[in-house]
Amino acid sequence: MKFFLSVFLMISVFSVFAQENHTLSGHISDSKSGEMLIGAQVYFPSIKQGTSTNNYGFYSITVPKGVYIVEFKFSNLDPFSKEFNLNSDTVYNHEFTSKDQALQEVVVNAKKGSNVKDTKIGQMELGIDVIKLLPAFMGEVDVLKSIQLLPGVSSVSEGGQGFYVRGGGPDQNLVLLDEATVYNASHLFGFFSVFNSDAVKSVNLIKGGMPANFGGRMSSVLEVNMNEGNNKRFKVKGGLGLISSRLTIEGPLKKNKGSFIISGRRTYIDVLMKPFISKSSGFAGTSYFFYDLNFKANYRLGPKDKIFLSGYYGKDKFSFNDAKNGFSVNMPWGNGIAALRWNHVFGQKTFMNVSSTITDYQFSFGSKADQFSFNLFSGVRDIGGKVDFSYYPNNRHKIKYGLDYTHHTFTPTSVAVSQADTKFDTGLAQRLFSHETAIYALDDFDLNSRIRVNAGLRYSMYQQVGPFTRYVKGFMNAPDSTIVYKKGDLIKFYNGLEPRLSFRFLLNEKSSIKVGYSYNYQYVHLTSLSAVSLPTDIWYPSTSLAKPQKGWQLTAGYFRNFLNDKIETSVEVYYKGMNNLIEYKEGALPQDNVKDNTDNLLTFGRGWSYGAEFFIKRTFGKLTGWIGYTLAKTERQFAALNYGKPFPAKYDRRHDLSVVASYKLSDRWVFSSTFIYATGNTLTLPTAWYVQDQNLLFDYGARNSTRMAPYHRLDLGATFYGKTYKTITNEETGEVSKVKKKCKSNWSFSIYNVYNRANPFFLYIDSKGTLLGGDFKLSVKQVSLFPIIPSVTWNFEF
Amino acid sequence: MKNIFYITTLLFLLLQSCTKEVKVDIPGYEKKLVIDGSISTGQPPLILLSSSKDIYSETSQSAFLAGFVSGATVTVSDGTTSVVLDEVCTDNLPPGTEAFAAQLFGIPVSQLANYHLCAYTSFNSVIFGQVGKTYNLTVVSDGKTYTASTMIVSPTSLDKVFWKSDTYPDYGYSWATLSDPPGQYDAYMWEVKRINKGTTGKPKDEFFMKTYTPVFDDSFFDGLTFDFFYENPFSYHDSTFNQNYLGYYEIGDTVVVKLSKMDKNVYQFYEKKYVQLTTSGNPFATPTNIPTNIIGGALGVWAGFSPSYDTLICKP
Repeated sequence: MKFFLSVFLMISVFSVFAQENHTLSGHISDSKSGEMLIGAQVYFPSIKQGTSTNNYGFYSITVPKGVYIVEFKFSNLDPFSKEFNLNSDTVYNHEFTSKDQALQEVVVNAKKGSNVKDTKIGQMELGIDVIKLLPAFMGEVDVLKSIQLLPGVSSVSEGGQGFYVRGGGPDQNLVLLDEATVYNASHLFGFFSVFNSDAVKSVNLIKGGMPANFGGRMSSVLEVNMNEGNNKRFKVKGGLGLISSRLTIEGPLKKNKGSFIISGRRTYIDVLMKPFISKSSGFAGTSYFFYDLNFKANYRLGPKDKIFLSGYYGKDKFSFNDAKNGFSVNMPWGNGIAALRWNHVFGQKTFMNVSSTITDYQFSFGSKADQFSFNLFSGVRDIGGKVDFSYYPNNRHKIKYGLDYTHHTFTPTSVAVSQADTKFDTGLAQRLFSHETAIYALDDFDLNSRIRVNAGLRYSMYQQVGPFTRYVKGFMNAPDSTIVYKKGDLIKFYNGLEPRLSFRFLLNEKSSIKVGYSYNYQYVHLTSLSAVSLPTDIWYPSTSLAKPQKGWQLTAGYFRNFLNDKIETSVEVYYKGMNNLIEYKEGALPQDNVKDNTDNLLTFGRGWSYGAEFFIKRTFGKLTGWIGYTLAKTERQFAALNYGKPFPAKYDRRHDLSVVASYKLSDRWVFSSTFIYATGNTLTLPTAWYVQDQNLLFDYGARNSTRMAPYHRLDLGATFYGKTYKTITNEETGEVSKVKKKCKSNWSFSIYNVYNRANPFFLYIDSKGTLLGGDFKLSVKQVSLFPIIPSVTWNFEF
Repeated sequence: MKNIFYITTLLFLLLQSCTKEVKVDIPGYEKKLVIDGSISTGQPPLILLSSSKDIYSETSQSAFLAGFVSGATVTVSDGTTSVVLDEVCTDNLPPGTEAFAAQLFGIPVSQLANYHLCAYTSFNSVIFGQVGKTYNLTVVSDGKTYTASTMIVSPTSLDKVFWKSDTYPDYGYSWATLSDPPGQYDAYMWEVKRINKGTTGKPKDEFFMKTYTPVFDDSFFDGLTFDFFYENPFSYHDSTFNQNYLGYYEIGDTVVVKLSKMDKNVYQFYEKKYVQLTTSGNPFATPTNIPTNIIGGALGVWAGFSPSYDTLICKP
C-alpha cells in the first residue's frame, strides 16, 4: 500500500510543478479514414522533448511556457511542423494525409529511432502493411505466423497451435484483441490464426520487460488492435483466395464523429471438396470449415469522450460421417469476444480508458456410433472490467495506474455418455469459478538526460470460489470420495506482488543499453496431453492443487542505429525462471478427466530458459526487412517425470534464424521472401521394443530425448498493384489527364516452401510384417505436412 | 474420448503429404527383462521370460526367438504354499502340450523342436489358481530378482449374451448384458472363440482371442446394468473372410465368451497396453508407457484372472 501512497504523493507533487507549464494534447488521425494513429510522434526539437500517441491516438505533453515549433511524425508520412505559442493549455488534433499504398515505401517501423530512446525492452511492433506484403501460406495473411519471424518467438511446427516466447509455453502468452483475452488464437490446429488481417490495425508484442499494466501471463503480451473503420466515407474491401475469401465494409456512423467496420472471412475447403464426395458415398457429410466475423464501432460523444464497441466471433467446424458403420462425429470450436470501452480525457493531462470485456471459448465434441453416444464440452468464459489512467504531469513523466478484474468460469470437461437408454455415470460437470483482480501503477520517467526508467508494481490476487466438487482419490480398490463446496465458498486464495522495472541508458543519440526485470504471476494454465497442441487442450485455473505459475525474467540489451536510423540493430540477452509449471502425470489418459478433477491428474515442476537474440532491421528504402537470430535453451524439471531429471522442452531450439525481405521494384510490383532455419523439435520415442502376449509393445525412453531434423523453409511472395489512375483523353482538346480510379486492386502471389523441403512434423516407429513371418521390420518414419504450395489472392478496395 | 484421437488422426491424414524413413539418435536404450505371467482360476501359473530390444536391433525371426530367456528360477507362492515352477522347453515338451506351446510362442508345431524356447509352469495342483487368493511371483534371472503379486478376484457373470443382425440380416455383433456389482472396483477382459465347425470340419477356433480393445473397468458404470457389443476379432485375422462382413459373426456361429476379471494393477497394465497399441504413431496422442506391477526393473505383467464363461449361439 505504501507504494501506492507514494505514487499518489508523487502525482500531487507534479501537479504543483506543473503550474509554470502548459500542456499540448489531442488526437492524431489519418485524414482519409479518420483512423486514429497509434505511436505517432509529437516532438519539440528546441528542447529535444517529445511523446507519442497511445493506442487510442491520444497524446499529451506538458512543457514550460513558450513558443515552440512542434513536429508531428508518423511512419513514412510527410512530417508536419506547426508553431505553438504555449501560454495556455492547448488542444490540437492533427490529421495526417496518407499516400496510396502503391505509392508508399515499405516501412518496417513506424517510430523512427524510438527503439534506441524509449525504455521498451523486448518489444516488437509489426505494422499490418508489412505483414500483408510477406508471403502468405495458402494466401491467408497471418498475424501469428508473422510474429513468429521475430527473434525469440517460435512455433512448435507447422501444425503447432499458438506460439512460444523465450522458452515459455503457449499458455504463457496474453493474447489481446482490443483488450479482450483470446484463449485460442488459432483455426485448424494453428495453420491459420483467428486474426483477419483486414480487420487488424496493429500488432504489438512484448516478450520481456512487461510493463505493470499487463499481467496474468508469464511470457509475453500480444496486443492486436482492430481497425476502427473509416469515419469519412463508406468503403468496401476484400479478397478472393484459393481456400477462403474476405469481405470488409466500413464507413461513418456520423461523419467525423463515429464509424463502424464489419469484416468477415470463411474458408471453403468443404465446398470445394463436396463434388468429390458423392452423396451416395458413405462419407457424405464429412467436412471442415471455419469462419470469423469482426465488428467494431466507435463514436465520439464529445471532445473528451469516445466509446468503442468491438466484437469477434469465430468458429471452426469439423464433421465426419461414416454412414456405413453408423458412426458420426461433430466437432465445433471457437471464440466469442466482445469489448466495450470508454475513453475520457480529464483536463488535458489524464486519459482514462474504461473497458468491459467478455470472452468465451468453447470446444465441443459429439460422436454417435450406433446407439452409443458421447458428448464432450470444454470451455472458458471470462467477464472482466478494467479502468486505466494515463497521467502526463510534465514532459518527464508518464504515469499509468489502474484496476483490472476478471471473473473466470472454467469448464475443463463435461461429458455425457449413453448406450441406448442407459446413461453412464460420468460424474458432475467439472466447473470452476474464480476472481482475478489486480491493481497497478507505473511511471515512465527521465532520471536525467541519459537515463530513463520505467518502474511499476502490480499487485494481483486470485480467489477460487464455490460451487465446486473436489474428488479425493481412493487408495487402490477403495472408492473415491468428494468434498462439496457451496456457492460463494472461498476455496483458495492466492496473491502476490509483481515488481517490474526497466532502465534505458542512452550512450549517445544512436545507441543505448537497456535492462529490464519483471516478475509475473499466472493464475490460469493450459493442460495438454498430446505432443501437438489441439483444441482439446484444456484451460484450467489455479486451485488448491494447481498453484499459480510464477516467473521472473531478467533481460538486457544493446541497441544501436545506423544511417540516420535506416538500420536498427540490437542484441538482447535474457534469463527466465518459471515455477509451478504443469504437466499431466505419466500415463494420464483423456478419459481420466471424467468424474474427476483435472488437477488430480497433474504434476508440477519448474523450468528455465536463457538465450541471446540478434536483430538487424532495415526500416526504410526500396529494400526493407530484417534478420533475426536466436541462440537459446529451455529446460523443464518435474519430480514425477523423467525420474526427476531435467529434460528439454519440446520447443527447445538451440538455433533459430529468420530472414525477411521486401523489395519494391516499382509502384506496381513488390517482392518479398522469408527464410527460416530452426533446430529440430524434441520428442519422446521408444528406445526399446518387447513382446507380451504376442503383441509388439514399446518402452519409451527419457522425455524429449530425441531431436528431429532441423526445420528450414523459404517462401516467396509478390504483390502486383493494379493501376490507381486511368488516363482520359479530352476529345475536344486532345488533352490527356490522369484520373484516380475508384477501385483499387492487387494480386498477391505466394509460394510456400519453395524448395519443397520435407520438414519433420513428427516421428513414429513403424512396424511392418508379423513378428515370426520373417518380414518383420521396425523403422523410424518422419511425417511432413506441407510440400511446395503456390497460392494467389486477389484483393480489392473501393 | 478415444474418438477424438481417431478423428484428429483422420484430419491429420487428410493433410499429411509425405512420410519417409529417417535415422535419428534415440538415446537411452537399456536391456530389460520382460515377464509375461498369468494365473487363472483352476489353471497353473504360466510365465514367459524374454528381453527388450533396441529399436534399431535386428528383427529377423531368429533374432526375435533368441530373445526368449531360459535358465531362470521362478517361484509362485499363495502366501502359505510356495512352488518352484518347472522350466518346460519346446525341444522337450510333455506329450499333448505341443499345440498349446505352438500357440504360446507363435510358431508351427513342426518347428517346435528346432528351438529351445522355455516357459515356466507347474503340474502341481496346489498352486493352481483359486478365487480370493493373492499369488506372489519371484523370478531370479541373470543374478537379478524380480517380484510381483496379483489377486484372483471374484468373478462376475454376464446376465445374458445375444446376437443381433446389423446392416445385413445374417451378420451381426455379439451382444451382452452386464450387471456391474455396486460399490466395488471391477475390471473386465473380453475374449472369445468360435466352436462351431468350419470348412475343415474342426471347430473354427482352437484358442481364445482378444478383441481390439478387450479391457474395461467400471469407473463410469459402477452398479449399472447395460448392454454392450463386441466385434468378431477373428474376422480381421482371416484373409478368406468376406470384407463386407468384417467384425460380424454369422448366423450359425457358436461363440464361447470368456469374461475375466482382474485386479486394478493388472487392469492398468492392460488399459495402457491397448492405448499404446491403438495410438502408437499418432502425433496427437501422448507417448504411453505401460506401467508394470513387477518390482525390480522388469517390463510386463503378472496377472491373475477369474474368468466366467457363456455360450452365444448366433441366431435371430
